[in-house]
Amino acid sequence: MPKVIPAPDELSKPFWDGVNKKRLLLQNCAACDAYQYPPRETCATCGSVESLGWKEVRGRGHISSYIVIEDGRLDRRMPDQPYNLAVVTLDEDPGINFYSNLPGTPVHQVPVGAAVEVFFEEVGPGQLIHEWRVTR
Amino acid sequence: MARLISFDIDGTLEVGDPPGAITMAMVRIAEGLGIIIGSCSDRMVSDQTRIWRDHRIPVQFTVLKHQLDTVKAQFAADEYYHIGDTNMDRFYAERSGFKFLLTGAGVERLWIPQ
Amino acid sequence: MTAQSQYRWRRDKEGLGVWEHRGKVAVAGYGHSPVDRRWDETSMDQTLGAYSILACQKAMADAGVTPDQIDGVICCPTTIAGASGGAASNWAPRPFFDPPYDSEWGLTRVNAQWLIKQMNLRNVKYAPASAPTIGEMVGMASQAVGDGLCTTCLVIYPTGNLTGRYRRGGENAEDYAKGERQWTVPWGNHGGNDFINIFPHNEYCLKYGGAHDDLAPFVINQHRNGLMTPWGFNATHDVPQLTLEDYVTSRYILNPLRLWDCDRPVNASAAYLFTTADRAREMQQPPVYVLNHSQHNFKQRSTQPMLDEIETWTDFAARQMYEGSGLSAGDVDIFNPYDGYSTMTQFYLEAFQWHGVKRGDAFAFYADDIRVEGPHPFSSGGGNLGNGRTRTSMYTDSIEQLRGTAGRRQVKVRAETALCAFTTPSSGGWLMLGKYPS
Repeated sequence: MPKVIPAPDELSKPFWDGVNKKRLLLQNCAACDAYQYPPRETCATCGSVESLGWKEVRGRGHISSYIVIEDGRLDRRMPDQPYNLAVVTLDEDPGINFYSNLPGTPVHQVPVGAAVEVFFEEVGPGQLIHEWRVTR
Repeated sequence: MARLISFDIDGTLEVGDPPGAITMAMVRIAEGLGIIIGSCSDRMVSDQTRIWRDHRIPVQFTVLKHQLDTVKAQFAADEYYHIGDTNMDRFYAERSGFKFLLTGAGVERLWIPQ
Repeated sequence: MTAQSQYRWRRDKEGLGVWEHRGKVAVAGYGHSPVDRRWDETSMDQTLGAYSILACQKAMADAGVTPDQIDGVICCPTTIAGASGGAASNWAPRPFFDPPYDSEWGLTRVNAQWLIKQMNLRNVKYAPASAPTIGEMVGMASQAVGDGLCTTCLVIYPTGNLTGRYRRGGENAEDYAKGERQWTVPWGNHGGNDFINIFPHNEYCLKYGGAHDDLAPFVINQHRNGLMTPWGFNATHDVPQLTLEDYVTSRYILNPLRLWDCDRPVNASAAYLFTTADRAREMQQPPVYVLNHSQHNFKQRSTQPMLDEIETWTDFAARQMYEGSGLSAGDVDIFNPYDGYSTMTQFYLEAFQWHGVKRGDAFAFYADDIRVEGPHPFSSGGGNLGNGRTRTSMYTDSIEQLRGTAGRRQVKVRAETALCAFTTPSSGGWLMLGKYPS
């Protein structure tokens, strides 16, 4: 699947560096112990800047909802259509969610509520992304 | 040899929005040659029917963009073509076993001798 | 002329009490350009700029004011297609034309400064450079008039669309996802309110029961109301009435989001004339009084807003609007929420509890009689779905209903207050209008 390749920037580089080492690192605030994803300059919960760090999470979650992209606008993804786009919530903080195409899950057959685990998929030379698959 | 040509409307026919390169005169020639013709578009079927009626071109099918397979099931032909202007036209055409032709670039040569 | 970039006009908190200018500001005129699918690239009297000028002229004529009386101009300088609009969002790199079309201004973008110059509005003293969208501009104008920054203010909302396919090309054709897009695009979400609202809508169906196609009666009724709106795209382009069969057989875009759940990008402009209530009473039309304006701007917790966030946000918007207007749900006669995608409208309907509709009740309400002739004339303007993506029919219909000039759309129930908006669940604004100042 020719997925679009994320272009890390200064703020997101630690995250993508982690992904490229097959680790899921999220921003975590030492002051209030809140996770946040995507990364931000400040803690969305308490406003702290200096307390933000990175913390690895286990990468377990659940599928909360999904759609099937049948007529999207991304040139690179058109050959894939129709394909699943699910929202996965993180077990360690269900307020955190991620998109996933759920590789291995047939289109339209997404088990909403099912448990998933993270894995990593190469989308460009040396660039991985975090993907999710249903655990049996 | 029976031939069937399906026309997308918007971006394909001159009466589309945006207008396309295929004139209604070209379509009329196809109809006159005995080609099985019709439209396959996102426009409501009632809207497609109105367009053909307004231009007095008798067509044999008017279907939604994702329903080309019903046309193939309904009409026996040796060749099935869909002329359109978007990737989705191509997707639905090829999924339904039609050969997709991009509008413009002299596509009318398919049925009008040059 | 001043820009007043630091001017604090927003009403975006709870606890502000009843709006201090309630009933002291009024809408005295409106005007619409024709609504075209796209600019044809050759007719210079049909550019976005020309259409904005035309809309202003109509609004001034409607109110009975002359250009020299205009002392405020608020115009949103954004394009309809936005950053991910692709090839349809910018005229460049195509060669420009003779002035005034020698840049993007007037073709894909219109702002107050361009309009002031083209219309030779010599007495403008208030023309903010950073005007937000129509949902907020109407509040900005209401507050500015109430605060005395100007007395006769044009609000213009241009929505452009060029040759090319919406959102095709541009950054959607790129191999890399930068900025905020790095968190969504690799998985296929290129952004937009279609993506934002379809997941909460799915959750909604699961939580409250119901299926996506329960939206059909609402969408069909929007088309019906649109066909009774003389200036709208559908009414002026022979678009047939959408039927239930048309809806349920239409193809999916983001399954379960169907083609007819999406509005149609158009090239059009609309203008509204805000003034003081005292001045409005001297003008040509019966004044439509502003009873409150409110704004909201929420940040989502994570990548995708979920149903609980959207219900919290829309509940907040309802509370602050009702507080500032001094009205409650039972006082609102006309309700024109936003419908840019059909999947978001139920969130507003239930938050504002119009006609007693509570969380989870929307689909049953849609299945009831929501025609303009009936007891629950919901979204009587037809919205974007019935008129094209002008984002203005909510305002125009509300004004017309209160004036009693909505023609075939005129509701049979009482029409003394109207609540209208261009807003998404996360950001935008609401406007409460009244036939009477209090």
